[in-house]
Amino acid sequence: MSIVPKETIEVIAQSIGIANLSPDVALALAPDVEYRLREIMQEAIKCMRHSKRTILTADDVDSALSLRNIEPLYGFASGDPLRFKRAVGHKDLFYIDDRDVDFKEVIDAPLPKAPLDTAVVAHWLAIEGVQPAIPENSPVEAIVAPSENKKSDNSKDDGLHVDLKLPVKHVLSRELQLYFDKITELTVTRPESILFKEALLSLAADSGIHPLVPYFSYFIADEVARSLHDLPILFALMRVVRSLLHNPHIHIEPYLHQLMPSIITCVVAKRLGSRIADSHWELRDFSANLAASVCRRYGHVYHNLQSRLTKTLINAFLDPSKALTQHYGAIQGLAALGPGVVRLLVLPNLEPYLQLLEPEMQLEKQKNEMKRKEAWRVYGALLCAAGKCLYDRLKLFPGLLSPPKHKVWRSNGKVATSTPNKRKPSAIHSMQQPPFKKMAVDGAIGTMQPIAMTTGSQGAEDRFPTQSSGTGMGQSSAAGQVSVEAFGGRRTPPGSAVLAQAWKEDLDAGHLLASLYQLFGEGVLSFIQPVEMSFFI
Amino acid sequence: MEEEEIQKAVAAYLRKKGFTNTELALQEEQNRVSFSSNSDHSVSRLENGPVRYSDGYSKLRLWAYSSLDLYKHELLRVLFPVYIHCFMDLVAGGHVHEARNFFHTFREDHESMHLRDLQKLEGILSPLHLEEIELSRSFRQNKFKIKMCEYSYDLLLQYLQKTQSFTMRGVINEHIDFEVSPGQPTSSSGDADFVTIEGRNNDLVRQINQKEIHWGVLEDSLEQHLERPVSDSEKAESANKELVLISVNSLIQKRPLDGGKQGIPVKMVKKDKLVNMVGKNVRSETSAVSVAPRVKPELTLPTTLVEVEQAILEDLRSRVQLNSLALPSISFYTFVNTCNRLNCSSISQDGSLVAGGFSDSSLKVVWDISKIGQLVKTSSLHGEKESAKNENLPATEEGKKPYTLFHGHSGPVYSATFSPFGEFLLSSSSDSTIRLWSTKLNTNLVCYKGHNYPVWDVQFSPVGHYFASSSHDRTARIWSMERIQPLRIMAGHLSDVDCVQWHANCNYIATGSSDKTVRLWDVQSGECVRIFIGHRSMILSLAMSPDGRYMASGDEDGTIMMWDLSSGRCVSPLVGHSSCVWTLAFSCEGTLLASGSADCTIKLWDVTASTRASRMESKSSSSNRLRLLKALPTKSTPVYTLQFSRRNLLFAAGALSKCS
Repeated sequence: MSIVPKETIEVIAQSIGIANLSPDVALALAPDVEYRLREIMQEAIKCMRHSKRTILTADDVDSALSLRNIEPLYGFASGDPLRFKRAVGHKDLFYIDDRDVDFKEVIDAPLPKAPLDTAVVAHWLAIEGVQPAIPENSPVEAIVAPSENKKSDNSKDDGLHVDLKLPVKHVLSRELQLYFDKITELTVTRPESILFKEALLSLAADSGIHPLVPYFSYFIADEVARSLHDLPILFALMRVVRSLLHNPHIHIEPYLHQLMPSIITCVVAKRLGSRIADSHWELRDFSANLAASVCRRYGHVYHNLQSRLTKTLINAFLDPSKALTQHYGAIQGLAALGPGVVRLLVLPNLEPYLQLLEPEMQLEKQKNEMKRKEAWRVYGALLCAAGKCLYDRLKLFPGLLSPPKHKVWRSNGKVATSTPNKRKPSAIHSMQQPPFKKMAVDGAIGTMQPIAMTTGSQGAEDRFPTQSSGTGMGQSSAAGQVSVEAFGGRRTPPGSAVLAQAWKEDLDAGHLLASLYQLFGEGVLSFIQPVEMSFFI
Repeated sequence: MEEEEIQKAVAAYLRKKGFTNTELALQEEQNRVSFSSNSDHSVSRLENGPVRYSDGYSKLRLWAYSSLDLYKHELLRVLFPVYIHCFMDLVAGGHVHEARNFFHTFREDHESMHLRDLQKLEGILSPLHLEEIELSRSFRQNKFKIKMCEYSYDLLLQYLQKTQSFTMRGVINEHIDFEVSPGQPTSSSGDADFVTIEGRNNDLVRQINQKEIHWGVLEDSLEQHLERPVSDSEKAESANKELVLISVNSLIQKRPLDGGKQGIPVKMVKKDKLVNMVGKNVRSETSAVSVAPRVKPELTLPTTLVEVEQAILEDLRSRVQLNSLALPSISFYTFVNTCNRLNCSSISQDGSLVAGGFSDSSLKVVWDISKIGQLVKTSSLHGEKESAKNENLPATEEGKKPYTLFHGHSGPVYSATFSPFGEFLLSSSSDSTIRLWSTKLNTNLVCYKGHNYPVWDVQFSPVGHYFASSSHDRTARIWSMERIQPLRIMAGHLSDVDCVQWHANCNYIATGSSDKTVRLWDVQSGECVRIFIGHRSMILSLAMSPDGRYMASGDEDGTIMMWDLSSGRCVSPLVGHSSCVWTLAFSCEGTLLASGSADCTIKLWDVTASTRASRMESKSSSSNRLRLLKALPTKSTPVYTLQFSRRNLLFAAGALSKCS
């Protein structure tokens, strides 16, 4: 009936040398013991209150005991909170974990640091009723006012986006902190090391790093903004992003908004890296692919993700005031999003843009070597994008187009090959060699560049006008006619609706090829599979 | 047949006259008679005594909970007293086991309102304990007073008649006083106020509270001189006064400390002179003070030195007016590295000295605040916004300790107080002594022994020289500095006296106690003149308004109550703090009340608005709550002390606590 069972009384009696305490006495004592205990605790609470505390300590119990003229309990006066242990086999029986202390250890241990002396520090809690925002005061504004602040900020100045965050406590394990520190350090200091590659692999595969994602995304955003001049770091950061995106265990969607700006920065920034020799083109390509992959993966969740990205890119592309490097990045970004995007957004603007680009590429008009080089790069990118688009269109009908090739190829082969060979055989060779893969095309353009440069410097002036207007024109129109003819001649019997549609599209493709050819010359031809090319030419 | 008719007539008569208790008693007796005569069933019921308590109570409870919503809350009020007394009856009857069961079965119902009482009663396990524990005695001896409307009362009576449970009826008859009011039941919001324990000394309390008290300010205060129109003093011839002044000065120097009233007229002349010098820029009025009546001091007051007086007048002239729109500046003194050992702190009137009492028996007076304090003060008064940089330069660079250590006590120091002009410091300790220290000489001057138990609180009177102390021995004592024996002993509280505070006119002291009451004592006669009942837990802090009309008290639960001294009623309860209210302070004009709490906030309350409201609509006490003007959180520093300087700068002190 009382909290103190009579067994306890018996045990205590035995411990102080009373061997045979009758059960009746124990039974009668138990309630009284409980009552006295409660009484002492109430006194102890009084002492606690007068010590202006809200936590009861062993000292309070001692003073309560001395108030009652009872000898205080010795041995509990240490400042540490007492450690209670649950007794085995009992639900609510606890005892104090009292370890044996080895004297030797105590003596050998170095002296602890002397505690700091009590001091008084003064500060303004309020000035005329208003709390000044000094470190001594609790950050009251952050807790109380965020909703109001946000509203007023948004309504007054939309340009300045104030991101107010509530002070949320977030526990990160020590291991994770170490991991994060290590990775960030590697990224910044040794992006070339093998260890970093290992780290990337770990980032891409580890399942336990989800708590770190916000820190990583913040780190990346921060670091990209900070080290725009440092190409290796940017590259390393993009690799980290790629690894994070690849990791199947983490849920990165909520942090995309923080990551995307960094990626896009790496695509279309005006200057990346500090030295001219830096291969920022590669970084742009890499980041463009990264952005495209994000779009592919999360486009269905964030339905406006792709539209926003393309808008950003097309703005960069169509703005003549932007640097050529930015144009290049934009084109690569759009190209990475797929041929459909290129066809819709790039091709319509191709002609005016090339007119703009043309003077930049010519030796006479653009004296700056760097600028000219850049212009050629852009040209290469455009060519590549358009070509891939074309290739994609044509690829739709491999079966349709296969049979009638040889004849046409032979008949037109002369026209197709003769003129280019005459002008710049080396260029054609180099462009026909590489396989039709995305990455490889970039590489091809890279290799093509110097050659084009050299040939361009020889006869850049006459090359384009003549080629596109003279032979090119004739050729493409001829090709178009031939294709129509070919279809009309041989493919009439199975004239189903599907075929008609395909035919129509094919016609479009034909026109596309024609116009592209008009603009690029036979550079485009390299994107057409031999079979199909043979069909068209 | 005849008998029945007579009974009916008697019952009708009783009902008509409103002798409800008598009626109940009669019916019960009748029932008992009839039962004992006609059945052995009742005998068996009486025998298994313990069961009928819990049976009866659970039935009553069920009935009360299933009653109409309109009357439910009133009927529920009956449950707690019945519950308590059933429990105590069971214990008294020796059915300890059943009492336990009963207690725990229904405990939850009352936990929200009466947790503290329940915790106390929980320990009662034998009839002996009932005698010993203070609370149960007060329950036993006193009656609960419950207000309810007529209809609810009728409902209850009907129920009791119908169920014929004598046990419940007996308990209700014995321990509850009903105050039946006609009309609609009261709203359920003010639930708590309606269950009050009033003693047999109920009348005594009423009687005490009807005693006359003179709550005005002293008639000869410096404020008054400041307010007095200049023209008054111009009448006197200045040359004449000049002469008097010289003689007065020499007189004052010679006169002993407790100089009598004969000195006063001379002093007044001198003060007029001072006011004259002050000139035109004297602030003309402070409305609150001008209302307050003047009273003569009952104690012989100590005199003040001319320089000190001049300093005070200077302070009063440059006082900042505070009201609900003009809030005070608060300078916060944080004790760091205290290891939870700081028990109390005190700040001198001008904020230049800060003392801390520690649980290791030491008293530390921090000196360097005087420099810092001046910086703070001047900068604030000159309107400079920020001087945080200056403050962060402690004097430790000089290699000395930034404080003076006072050793002398042999137990935790529970309270410390500076004399009004900062030259003395009093400290009280658990070694049951009070010590007087000189801040000029840095030494202990006197040790006052008188209390038998730890002295919880000590307070200097507003004029100095006298001080009051309160102790675990359930007394409060008045002392003067020059005598080692107390001048008065105030006995009457039923439990520890936890805090003490002087009235502005020094004629009264207020004491707050663990018995949940605040008492006001006449210093001259040593009589209790007011008892304030209403707090639900131990009282930790008290403050008196400067005009002497109101008193604020704060308790362990974070409730603050504002009392009107003349009526003895609670003006308005202030709810807002979530933990112990350690300290309270009125601003110098009495317009603001500042409260510091263990929940690490300082709250500022508007006094004028609430008291005005209460005067207009004095009946409906629930509507006028004191208006909370501002809550200022600290950085995990519970607020131990608050002190308004004469210029109305608020000083606060507390110990930084690492945890939380």
